[in-house]
Amino acid sequence: MLVGGIGLIVFFYISLSVGIYDVSLQQLIDAFLRRNVSENIDLVIFHFRLPRVILAGLIGLGLGIAGGVLQGITKNGLADPGILGINSGAGAAIVVFMFFFQGYVSSTSWLFTLTMPIYGLVGGLAAALIIYLISWEQGRLDPQRLLLTGIAAGAGFGAFTIFLSLKMKAQDFEMATVWLSGSIYSANWMFVLAVIPWFLICVPVIMRRTYMLDLFRMSEESLISIGVSVEKEKSILLLSSIGLISACVSVAGSISFVGLMAPHMARLIVGNEHKNIMPVCGLIGMLLVIGSDFIARTVVAPAEIPVGIVIAIIGVPYFVYLLFKVRM
Amino acid sequence: MGVKRHLRYIILLSSPITITLVIFLSILSGSTVIHPADVIEAFLSFDSDNVTHTIIMTSRMPRAVGAMLIGALLAMSGALMQGMTRNYLASPSIMGVSDGAAFAITLSVIFLPALTSLQMVMLSLVGSALGTGVVFGIASLVRNGLSPVKMAIIGTIIGTFFSSISAALATYFQVSQTMSFWYNARIHQMSPDLLWFTIPFAVAGILLALALANSVTILSLGDETAVGLGQRKGLIKALTMLSVVIMTGISVALIGKVGFVGLIIPHITRFFTGTDYRWVIPCSAVIGGIFLTLSDSLSLYINYPFETPIGVVTAMIGVPFFLYLIKTRGVGSHR
Repeated sequence: MLVGGIGLIVFFYISLSVGIYDVSLQQLIDAFLRRNVSENIDLVIFHFRLPRVILAGLIGLGLGIAGGVLQGITKNGLADPGILGINSGAGAAIVVFMFFFQGYVSSTSWLFTLTMPIYGLVGGLAAALIIYLISWEQGRLDPQRLLLTGIAAGAGFGAFTIFLSLKMKAQDFEMATVWLSGSIYSANWMFVLAVIPWFLICVPVIMRRTYMLDLFRMSEESLISIGVSVEKEKSILLLSSIGLISACVSVAGSISFVGLMAPHMARLIVGNEHKNIMPVCGLIGMLLVIGSDFIARTVVAPAEIPVGIVIAIIGVPYFVYLLFKVRM
Repeated sequence: MGVKRHLRYIILLSSPITITLVIFLSILSGSTVIHPADVIEAFLSFDSDNVTHTIIMTSRMPRAVGAMLIGALLAMSGALMQGMTRNYLASPSIMGVSDGAAFAITLSVIFLPALTSLQMVMLSLVGSALGTGVVFGIASLVRNGLSPVKMAIIGTIIGTFFSSISAALATYFQVSQTMSFWYNARIHQMSPDLLWFTIPFAVAGILLALALANSVTILSLGDETAVGLGQRKGLIKALTMLSVVIMTGISVALIGKVGFVGLIIPHITRFFTGTDYRWVIPCSAVIGGIFLTLSDSLSLYINYPFETPIGVVTAMIGVPFFLYLIKTRGVGSHR
């Protein structure tokens, strides 16, 4: 935890200070303490970099925790919001929203920004419901089916999204594609405000139930016999994580692999108790996304690579390593 | 079995007529209204000054024939892979073949912009071999990696990897839009020259597939049976993959990424013909070709007057079918 915390501060500092316009530590401290106020530095720090870093951190936190919950519920180490198709569901719903309200909305409108997570939630829930219905058999959730159905549903929602986005005007299409591939490019304070309520509701709900995830490792029968209402608890956990995922997708598009990698790394570091795993998951997620976003915007500066792509390029080798190393 | 034996003959014997009809239908579809009589006239007495004739021969005709050919190639690839791995989910799009090919194309657009279409097709072949090699290599090294679920996940992830690197490179070198067109909207610009050029490859791939059909049937019975019958498994598998790489590589080079044809058509075909791959492979080709040509005609009308990418159409049909397969067949082996 401590190492992670220090790492987070270091990443935070680097992300804030390095870029096309370098800011020294002295200038950074001055800006935060409001000494020797400089308009340029204020603009760079408070208008561009700070909301972006915070948003990246929140997204990492949300996806990391959601991944931990999904892996706990499905008892499958390969579960990830992206692989399960929940990302694509939320994404499709948001593209539907963009499509029907194009011309009326802009990324600077409050109403648009604040309602996006709700649309995302509807889409994410719809995807989850389809996946759940199909993989549900004889009163239990088959993890293998869950993954396959997720892949298929993801492909379906993806095709639907391409279909809709091709009907958009060129400019909206550009916006939709950039956003879909997972980018924090357009981060601003409004986005941060739009997702914070979701985190305030969902994260505590999940954290209070981390012990449930440990219990889920037991068989369903023994859970019922000790008086746990399994399905209700599962639904609450699932709903909360879909809430988090949808909020993240609505501001940053589809970012895969964070939810897959963070729980594995967390288990390596702190063992098997979810009480410990979940916070570390969140922390690792934050480090991953902030770090990747930094790479995304600096490596090819002044151009940008969508952060989702950077994470996929880092994530795949790790995934292959997992395949060889870990029994799943 | 008796009924199925009849269906095999019916499918193959009626194929010249059905294929001609479907191609004819496809030529008639499009934003310019073309009279059926004009089509026949264009074939019988082509007049290069007649605009309608030119449209038919240089645009509609290659497109229809191309869709037919590619549908056949993809369906045969899928059938070969499903038989060989005994995995009912194996298919070109899941094995990362298309993503590998698209990766090679991205590299060539960026670093070798002067390439002709012909050379791009060759590169696409190399790329699909690369994609298949990586996915199949990892799948056979990982414990239980050739099982349906593991393979689907490995393929999806490796595919994501290739397409992510392609996307990153495309963004960096600012060729995103060019690439997007390459993947999604190729079929309407199918050139007759390119089509002619790929035909020898297609023929080689198809002949190889047909020659392997009997061996694939034996493979699909399980490893013990195959060994018991004295089959040289390694050689057969390598040749099968070669055939898949050739056929899928050509398809991606001609129209980009089209998913689900190679996945669903072999299932439909086995439903008609039983599990003897000497029949499954040729019948898949017929059904796959017809399916893709009809999907292509459909893509013209779904969002009229705009064309919908054909991959979207096949996914819209393929996804529900895929879910149905999972729901009814579970996640066991492919029978």
